[in-house]
Amino acid sequence: MYFALTDEQRALAETVRAFLADRFDLRAVRAVVDDERGDGHPADLWRAIGEQGWLSVCVPPEHGGLGLGLLDAQVIAREFGAGVVPGPWATTVLAGAAVRRVGSPEQAAAVLGPLGAGELVATVALRGPGGRFGRSGIAVRADAAGRLDGAASGVEYAHVADVIVVAATEPVAATEPATEPATEPATEPVAVPTGGGSGRGDGGVGLYLLERGGDGVRIERQASIDGTTRLAALTLTGAPAVRLPGSDAAALADLLRRGAVLAAADLAGVARAALTRTVAYDTERVQFGRPVGSFQALAHHLADLHVAVTMAEHAVLYAAHALDEGRPDADLAVAVAKSKANQAAGDATAAMVQYHGGIGYTWEHDTHFFYKRAKRLVAAFGDSRQHLEHLARLTVDTVG
Amino acid sequence: MAGTRRQDGLDHVDLSYPPEAEEFRAELRAWLTANIPAAWTEPGFWATVGEDEAFDLRRDWERRKALAGFAGIDWPVEYGGRGGTPAMRAIHDSELVRARAPRSVNSLGLVFLAPTVMAVGTPEQKADIIGPMLRNEVIWCQGFSEPDAGSDLAALRTRGVLDGDEFVVNGQKVWTTFAGRGDRIFTMVRTEPGSSRHRGLSLLLIDMHAPGVEVRPIRQMSGVSEFGEVFLTDVRVPASQCLGGIGNGWATAMLLLSFERGAAGISQYTAYRQAYDEIVRVARALGRAGDPVLRQELARRRVELECLHYQAMHVLTEVEQGRDLGASSSVTKLQWSQAYQGLFETFDELLGADVALLRPTADLDLTALRQESFWTRSVTIWGGSSQVQRTIVAERVLGLPRGS
Ligand SMILES: Cc1cc2nc3c(=O)[nH]c(=O)nc-3n(C[C@H](O)[C@H](O)[C@H](O)COP(=O)(O)OP(=O)(O)OC[C@H]3O[C@@H](n4cnc5c(N)ncnc54)[C@H](O)[C@@H]3O)c2cc1C
Repeated sequence: MYFALTDEQRALAETVRAFLADRFDLRAVRAVVDDERGDGHPADLWRAIGEQGWLSVCVPPEHGGLGLGLLDAQVIAREFGAGVVPGPWATTVLAGAAVRRVGSPEQAAAVLGPLGAGELVATVALRGPGGRFGRSGIAVRADAAGRLDGAASGVEYAHVADVIVVAATEPVAATEPATEPATEPATEPVAVPTGGGSGRGDGGVGLYLLERGGDGVRIERQASIDGTTRLAALTLTGAPAVRLPGSDAAALADLLRRGAVLAAADLAGVARAALTRTVAYDTERVQFGRPVGSFQALAHHLADLHVAVTMAEHAVLYAAHALDEGRPDADLAVAVAKSKANQAAGDATAAMVQYHGGIGYTWEHDTHFFYKRAKRLVAAFGDSRQHLEHLARLTVDTVG
Repeated sequence: MAGTRRQDGLDHVDLSYPPEAEEFRAELRAWLTANIPAAWTEPGFWATVGEDEAFDLRRDWERRKALAGFAGIDWPVEYGGRGGTPAMRAIHDSELVRARAPRSVNSLGLVFLAPTVMAVGTPEQKADIIGPMLRNEVIWCQGFSEPDAGSDLAALRTRGVLDGDEFVVNGQKVWTTFAGRGDRIFTMVRTEPGSSRHRGLSLLLIDMHAPGVEVRPIRQMSGVSEFGEVFLTDVRVPASQCLGGIGNGWATAMLLLSFERGAAGISQYTAYRQAYDEIVRVARALGRAGDPVLRQELARRRVELECLHYQAMHVLTEVEQGRDLGASSSVTKLQWSQAYQGLFETFDELLGADVALLRPTADLDLTALRQESFWTRSVTIWGGSSQVQRTIVAERVLGLPRGS
């Protein structure tokens, strides 16, 4: 029985935190946020992340990685969230997971080594314009030759990615009757994607590797509320791509679950930092002759937030563990973790703005980095509504 | 990043219990299966039995369990305990819930008083108190709260004046659980005349059958009278019945309250999962399990229950690793009490227009769930109210400046 971070994981968290304080603090984040046209991908940060080994966490030892799991990756994700760190770390880790789990040995060899060493930027394109996360939201269609047509939206760091893992529907089922992706409730009306080609093939779903600079690929930056990342739209017209041979609807669901856990971990970090920074400010800020943090209305709300953030941290830890170990309750655990992290981060970042008063509403103050990053991630890899409905399917509909 | 690879498979999240704990579980489960009458496991059973009869059944059943060796699970053997681990204790509590065993009638003694006696009691107190408590020969009450001292315990006024080697105690306690059934009560008494707040207090063990002790039951919102008032008029209490030293009552009380450890969270999770499943069955029976808004609400409650489970496992880990829990018991209390209460708010919501009925349809009896729903209103009040817990978290965990 052990349910806590290990000493090593705590040390890793401490290392990441110290690194960020030293090499990429909020002033550096601000420079990225303010440089709206910039690629949002500071080269020296990326190099350092590679050197630290933080990209190789989930890369198997045979490809030069550390061979650890999401349990360790979530430690880094949390600290990156707490530091509102820009850059394609999470998307690269996620794309790597897809290649590792359903790619061919050759694909794994080609991608994972460089990826772990920080020599390769990767991302995932899973959702069409206006679509939801899940099979019904895909707006890319593959033909039998592996050419892709359609569109993807809100793709993080597509403009700097060497490799993009694209989810596409396929004309004929590649595998047995596809199980529905986890994050996609059956009761939801299917969102009909518009623009690009319709990806709603009636067959299966596949994951495809798209390389940088290929034919038929157009990447256009999309304006985003969150300056700590960069988003882009992908338009594909007969773009040649290579299928990850083991991929199917279940692989997409698995990828979405992993994405949800990394996003939840980031959110837990955002939430914890928002809370800690608010406590620090309200301990100093004096009104009515006393620190505002001594007012019970404020203190009690912050106490509730501490409980919520603590629960989110636990839930992320458990979901990562459950996925690593392939536990039967992993699906449920992910839905719990993402909805709890969504709530904790949404509430904590809103409270951060409120309990800083006027300064919290300014561009000059750092509050909006946390608030906006949370806004984006709350909706990433399934919003609360989607995960709660999935949870209802797993619990309400299964009680005997 | 060096040396983070796990080799032994031990040093990371692992929710399995050690083999000896699992053996214990199997043994206990077998005993429970053989020793709980089938009728008792019907959800509505306890609501059909009169209060007196229910109490007697529970007391005697718990006594038999103790005689069979399933009590004091994590207590040292020298005190009649089993010498087990915190994990075994958690398993014990959880298996009882799972088997729908009756709830303990001596939990205030077992959870709070016994470990305090083990820690600071005299040899005579240890011999006198622990065995009879374990066998339910003596039922213990907790007499802390008074009409003017609830959350603010240090405002208590019950006083004891030394007369020879006896205290003469006068005062009133209130909200005393099982007041009408208790044999002895551990009380906080002001034993230094003129003292105030935390000073001059003593923890006295009082015989509730002694002259001058008068008990009046109080009916609760659920209709039952599980707690009551205790009036103390010139009650003579031997000075040897002071636990933890005369004048040292505050420290002793804080020690006593610290024994509300988090292992309980695991069994609470088991209990709330039963409630969740029953509530879902009610939603189905009333044709409301497809309502998208209710589904969201139920799922949201489930998220909180799962989080309680994680918190309980986390606390158990910290206990087993011998780490200081700090104020995390306040986090646990807030999480469990609010998750539990919230679940029953959703229960009310899904009943819709049927909320006021105990039997909305011929084959749906909600009496037991309704009793439980009332009970959930109390869990954010006793054991340190939610407001008190939030203050503890704000000041001791977050380090916010103290309020005025
Ligand atoms: C079912 C049940 C069983 C109980 N069993 C026992 C028992 O066996 N033995 C025993 O000794 N006691 C028992 N109690 C009493 C319980 O411990 C008290 O009710 C509790 O401590 C609250 O005290 P109070 O009732 O005087 O409320 P008060 O302290 O008067 O509180 C009233 C309200 O004010 C809030 N409040 C108080 N102080 C503050 C503050 N500083 N800041 C913000 N809000 C505040 C409280 O949270 C509450 O909402 C029991 C209570 C219940 C409901």
